[in-house]
Amino acid sequence: MTWEYSEKTKQLFMDAVHGKAGTHLGEIVDPDGLGEHGSIACGDALRFTFRVERHPSDPIQDRIVEGRYLTFGCTSAIAASEALCALIEQGGYTPIQALKITNQDIVDYLEGLPEQKIHCSVMGAEALEAAVFNWAQKRGVDLHALGIDITRQEQEEGRLVCKCFGLTEPYLRRKISELGLRTIPEITNAVKAGGACMSCHYAPGGLQDLLNEIWGQRPVAFGEQPSAASAQVDLPSAQLSPYQFAKGIERIIAEEIRPRLKQDGGDIEIIDIKDTLVYCQLRGACATCAGAGQTMKMVVEQLLKERFDERIRVITV
Amino acid sequence: MNVIYADNNATTQVAPEVLAALLPYLGEQYFNPSSMYEPARGPKQAISAARVAIARLLGGVQPDEILFTSCATEANNAALFGVARAAGPGRRHIITTAVEHPAVLNVAKELSREGFDVTFLPVDEAGRLDPRELIRALRPDTMLVSIMHANNETGVVFAIESLARLVKETDPAIVVHTDATQTVGKLPIDLCGGMRHVDMLSFSGHKLHAPKGVGALFVRRGTPSRPVQIGGHQESGRRGGTENVAFIVALATALDLAVSGHERDEQHIRYLRDRLERELVARIPLLQVNGAGAERLVNTLNLSCHFIEGEGILYQLSAHGICASSGSACTSGSLEPSHVLRAMKVPFTAAHGSVRFSLSRFNTDEEIERILEVFPTIVANLRRLSPYWDNEHDRPRPEAEHMLHERG
Repeated sequence: MTWEYSEKTKQLFMDAVHGKAGTHLGEIVDPDGLGEHGSIACGDALRFTFRVERHPSDPIQDRIVEGRYLTFGCTSAIAASEALCALIEQGGYTPIQALKITNQDIVDYLEGLPEQKIHCSVMGAEALEAAVFNWAQKRGVDLHALGIDITRQEQEEGRLVCKCFGLTEPYLRRKISELGLRTIPEITNAVKAGGACMSCHYAPGGLQDLLNEIWGQRPVAFGEQPSAASAQVDLPSAQLSPYQFAKGIERIIAEEIRPRLKQDGGDIEIIDIKDTLVYCQLRGACATCAGAGQTMKMVVEQLLKERFDERIRVITV
Repeated sequence: MNVIYADNNATTQVAPEVLAALLPYLGEQYFNPSSMYEPARGPKQAISAARVAIARLLGGVQPDEILFTSCATEANNAALFGVARAAGPGRRHIITTAVEHPAVLNVAKELSREGFDVTFLPVDEAGRLDPRELIRALRPDTMLVSIMHANNETGVVFAIESLARLVKETDPAIVVHTDATQTVGKLPIDLCGGMRHVDMLSFSGHKLHAPKGVGALFVRRGTPSRPVQIGGHQESGRRGGTENVAFIVALATALDLAVSGHERDEQHIRYLRDRLERELVARIPLLQVNGAGAERLVNTLNLSCHFIEGEGILYQLSAHGICASSGSACTSGSLEPSHVLRAMKVPFTAAHGSVRFSLSRFNTDEEIERILEVFPTIVANLRRLSPYWDNEHDRPRPEAEHMLHERG
């Protein structure tokens, strides 16, 4: 499957795989901070290390000077890792300041990510957070005293919701709130939960229940899929009455489509018209023709779209 | 007296191979499949193997798309209530048919009492469903379409493949469910091919030579449906309750037998049914074959004997050791004629006199011969008692003729 990546993403990836100067592939020996996220079982994993310039007296004022990563993952996982290191080094942050880097910052640096790949940026932010916690332990910094919520441990503890990716309820709750995830596909895109066997989607205590508890009942059903209901709202044909709309379709079929089909010994009948859905049946030679499906789409639907309303869909009855 | 069992749409005898396969799990393999110790591994693996086998036999779906239930009724309840409970306020409309089994029909009625709007699609006089009716019924707030694959009373088969496609092409958010209790094992089910637009499919074991007490529900990945039977983590939390290991093994074995022997069995059963139908129609005046104009399951013969009552027919058949039924076994408790025949507008003179023979691979030509011998006499016996029958000319009395045209 191919994804629509930004030029920036593609370039960062190509630079990284060719080991161009200025890229950050690798691992710092004896790092000041080390954080990992994901696993091979989940399809991507990131090992992130950083080095600081130590402040002689106050560890809180340590400054990150170098970031390195080892990533198992796709194009965007690697590009996101590059982005993370670049953001860290350019910012000249202290580790505490670095915690402010969010997955959105990584997305912005990459000039956008396809929705299905948002989890790559989340992985970067997670690994960074883990590395900062690691640094704090090593340097004896009490993050809790600084008002920083030490929530990372939740990920390891708690009821498993998504078994395929090993994600727990506390972790998912935090991510749903932090990232403002409103639907199951958004959760899957961001943290992969529910992306494999899907059995946790509607199970008791599953993803939909977590969403409902955090955001309240979802406003409309099946919101994640396109529906006739939503397609109905702003049709250009809305200016036409249903009668006029049907008449228009009849006219085009009578004048332009039927004569063509008759040349081949066929015919067409309109069964019903609902909104912009036109239900038709091919007759005569066309009905038994192996290319009937093609005829419907390429001839009937195409002509109706061109001549009348581009949103028309023809459904074979 | 030898029993001639011709009521296979009600239940079937357990095949010997199926019984052999399930017995160990009622014996030494009694462990709870959820337990951690070594002996529990056998039952656990048996369930897993059964799930894989059934997934493969239904067209190569994912094993986790198969949920085991106690019967088809439970599977239908899980499907309809499950989808209704997952739907938000924007989706309140359900479409089903007037001829569903009570396990769908009455669930749909219950949902309508709970505030859902239910459309019951009509059928024509041959029991066929016109796709135009379905198209007309579809609405922007339609949440679920539940249409049976084949009717249990008449054997009329609905073109679920194309009906499901129509629904999904209209609005992919609508869930399509089919009660395939009468077709799994009898018709090819390809959920990754012709039936790829079907989201949920229910069936049971005891219609295909597995024991009563086991069924399954196919739920396509991503279908919004909440569990109805809640309990432990079994079936990924989607159907709680300790698994019926022995019967789950039986279900997979029975389906495997049905699929592998399908071609041979179908030919055999079709021959028997067609012979029974042809010769009874030739021997008995005013005998109507319900669903004759439609595509039907090859094992089912639903007859209406004008001017006599079905119960009296069954009683006499039973005296000859012949097991058949009058309408759906589930509707026999009520005094009304079958809802299916009424939906088909079968005249009252015939609706009450309906008899269903449903065959299996275990029936023989000799058995058909025996039914052919006794059935015409049984009908004649009752017609002799009927106030509407002119026995001298073996036809309805003139004053009763008009009743033949009064639609139910």
